[in-house]
Amino acid sequence: MDDEPLVRWYWIGDHLGYLGGLLADHAVIALVPVLIGLLLALPLGLACARFPRLYQPLAAVFNIVYALPSLAVFVVLIPYTGLATRATVMIPLTFYALAVLLPTTVDGLRAVPEPVRQAATAMGYGPWHRLAAVELPASVPYLVAGVRVAAVSSISLASVGALVGRGGLGYLFIDGFQRTFPTPIVAGIVLIAVLALATDVVLVTARRLLAPWAVREKAVTR
Amino acid sequence: MNWLSWLSDFIGSPDRRSGPDSILNRIAEHLALSAEALFYASLLAIPLGLLIGYTGRGVTFVTATAGATRALPTLGLVTLAVLLAGVGDTAVLLPLVALAAPPLLVAAVEGVRDTDPDVRDAARGVGMTHRQVLLGVCLPSALPALLAGLRTATVQVIATATVAAYVGLGGLGRYVIDGLATRDYAVTVGGALLVVLLAVAAQLFFALLARYALPPGIRAQRRPD
Amino acid sequence: MIRFDGAGKRHPDGTIAVGSLDLDVPTGRITVLVGPSGCGKTTLLRMVNRMVEPTSGRVLLDGTDVAELDAAKLRRGIGYVIQQAGLFPHRRVIDNIATVPYLLGQDRKKARARAAELLELVGLAPETARRYPFQLSGGQQQRVGVARALAADPPVLLMDEPFSAVDPVVRAGLQDELLRLQSELNKTVLFVTHDIEEAVKLGDQVVVLHEQGRIAQLADPHTLLTAPADDGVAAFLGRDRGLRGLALRPASTVDVRPTADGLRYGSWELTLDDTGRPIGWIDRAADAALLPAAGYRPATDTLRAALDAAVLSPAGVAVALDAEGRALGTATREAVLAALSAGLPAAPAPAGRTTTGRAEDAPATDGDPDGATGGR
Repeated sequence: MDDEPLVRWYWIGDHLGYLGGLLADHAVIALVPVLIGLLLALPLGLACARFPRLYQPLAAVFNIVYALPSLAVFVVLIPYTGLATRATVMIPLTFYALAVLLPTTVDGLRAVPEPVRQAATAMGYGPWHRLAAVELPASVPYLVAGVRVAAVSSISLASVGALVGRGGLGYLFIDGFQRTFPTPIVAGIVLIAVLALATDVVLVTARRLLAPWAVREKAVTR
Repeated sequence: MNWLSWLSDFIGSPDRRSGPDSILNRIAEHLALSAEALFYASLLAIPLGLLIGYTGRGVTFVTATAGATRALPTLGLVTLAVLLAGVGDTAVLLPLVALAAPPLLVAAVEGVRDTDPDVRDAARGVGMTHRQVLLGVCLPSALPALLAGLRTATVQVIATATVAAYVGLGGLGRYVIDGLATRDYAVTVGGALLVVLLAVAAQLFFALLARYALPPGIRAQRRPD
Repeated sequence: MIRFDGAGKRHPDGTIAVGSLDLDVPTGRITVLVGPSGCGKTTLLRMVNRMVEPTSGRVLLDGTDVAELDAAKLRRGIGYVIQQAGLFPHRRVIDNIATVPYLLGQDRKKARARAAELLELVGLAPETARRYPFQLSGGQQQRVGVARALAADPPVLLMDEPFSAVDPVVRAGLQDELLRLQSELNKTVLFVTHDIEEAVKLGDQVVVLHEQGRIAQLADPHTLLTAPADDGVAAFLGRDRGLRGLALRPASTVDVRPTADGLRYGSWELTLDDTGRPIGWIDRAADAALLPAAGYRPATDTLRAALDAAVLSPAGVAVALDAEGRALGTATREAVLAALSAGLPAAPAPAGRTTTGRAEDAPATDGDPDGATGGR
């Protein structure tokens, strides 16, 4: 190890196409689950806002789901989805994303001040109509904040999938470790950070466009 | 696919009863490594976070940096650390501490900053020194946040300690990794279920702690959340 | 005594909170700083215990510049009460009250014994001691806040809008309690409020502040209400300040017709029970039911109470009562009005007034409201 430098640039130069392929695979494995998670979180969150009793048990379940170590969950899924398939990694990532996004959706929907809510009702909005027209737009800053957390975590977690044969850039860690060759590992860490940063920039821009009134970032508790 | 037979194979094996690969030993290893990482992370992050939260200096930096550390891939950090420092607890401890520290730091900062400003004002007003305000007023009111941060950090560390088995460390991850390597699915699944159980138990532990160990005035204050 | 000696505060961004203020806060009295938000009153109060450091001038406490004292030690010698009470949520009420004694290094037992005394002094039940702040109402929390401020028996008390966050009924109770405490303890109190009613009720001396801490008027409440320095102060005092001023004057100046001299006014007669307590007014001409008799206590009540009783009475006569509620005598509206004018600066001749139709009609319509409206 002593004579091996942290990064051998020629290796990166020789493998640009290979790295690009892994990056694309990683983006799909990590981000499609967030998208699906969002699509699930919206109706679930609306239902929870409409029927508050639903929320407590759901929140408790997702709290536990979120705490499950990813490797263990990947492994448990293998008999059903197969070794080294995208589904083995993407299904758990979807649940992790949902576990982050459901509370933020509900928080966002609840963030509308009570007087505003009552004014909307007084003007003749029905409960569902009001949720869609008043509370949903107001929750956008919360949603975006939640998606940011979910996306970054998902990008980082996806690399663990390499241990069950499908982890996008995570494969570089295994490759580098087995060959005692740090360059791929460093490349993997950097590319994952870059992917996370790029995603984050896209999301912040999206928030500026979708919710120009929200000056301040809303906090996410995870 | 037969879960029952896998589990009975896993638990039934004499290796699980005693010796280095026994369930008790693996759990102990897993807990010891996690606890050690959490201890160092707390030692580092909590006092620093309390200070930053109290003075208000560097808060933006902390929140921005802590968010960014989420992007760090645990497997990458662990493999890199081992390549650079050689197999051993210290090599793995470093990334574990690096992963556990940010949530603790943020929790301490936010917890102190969330102290009711009137209470802080009153504390100064009755003649408490900065040290007395921080330790006697802000710290107790930051306890719920700190506990939540510790929970997040613990979850994170237990998961990462599992992954750390890949580089040759003990703990429950051993079963998962070795099972995968030898195509012994019974061992893999058994290990995975134990990890899940451990994570749930840790969650439960912190839920109970938050319920019963917080000072009553603080606990009740948080109830409306 | 607290002395503000050209004290001023300019924020780092250049805005001026307080320009330059000279003010003496006399020992053993309540001085109220009152003014709209942004007038710098809280800034001034916080200069005294160095929660705010003046950027110009000095604040002297019994002749010593507070800037020369150790801030924490200074504060332990000054009681401090704020709007939201600021109780420590993790400490029981008793330990909240004992905060300063603990800080001063008193042993736990002694400090708690003292805290228990204070709990009683501020009118809270002994079992409150073991409660946590969240278990108390807003008014109770404020009482604990006051008790905490008094725990080390500081000669000076700073109160920053202490009663603003509680509802009006509770607030009135807390104000009365403060006045009662002050009559026993004689602290030097600097009290900040935006509520002129409160200022007039509590202050021995009231300082009306304009923006940047400029003194618009410094006067005792009575002078303030009757002779505001300018239109601005008059506007801040609001309407019916004359009427409110009556609340500052004792009812003892009203001429009372002793019970022995008769209880009959026209067809109305006041009936008393065996012990001398009034039962009510009865209209001998109409043979109607008894109407309640409104009364006031000359020894303790204000002119406002006397006037109120006279206005409420069907006979137009207030009943003067002793401490036990027995009738001492009666006072007509005329007698109350005479007492009102007695204390005022000579009123200018009511030029023009007497020519109005209403004044001419007055004798005929006295006590007959229907007549005043011109017959329906």
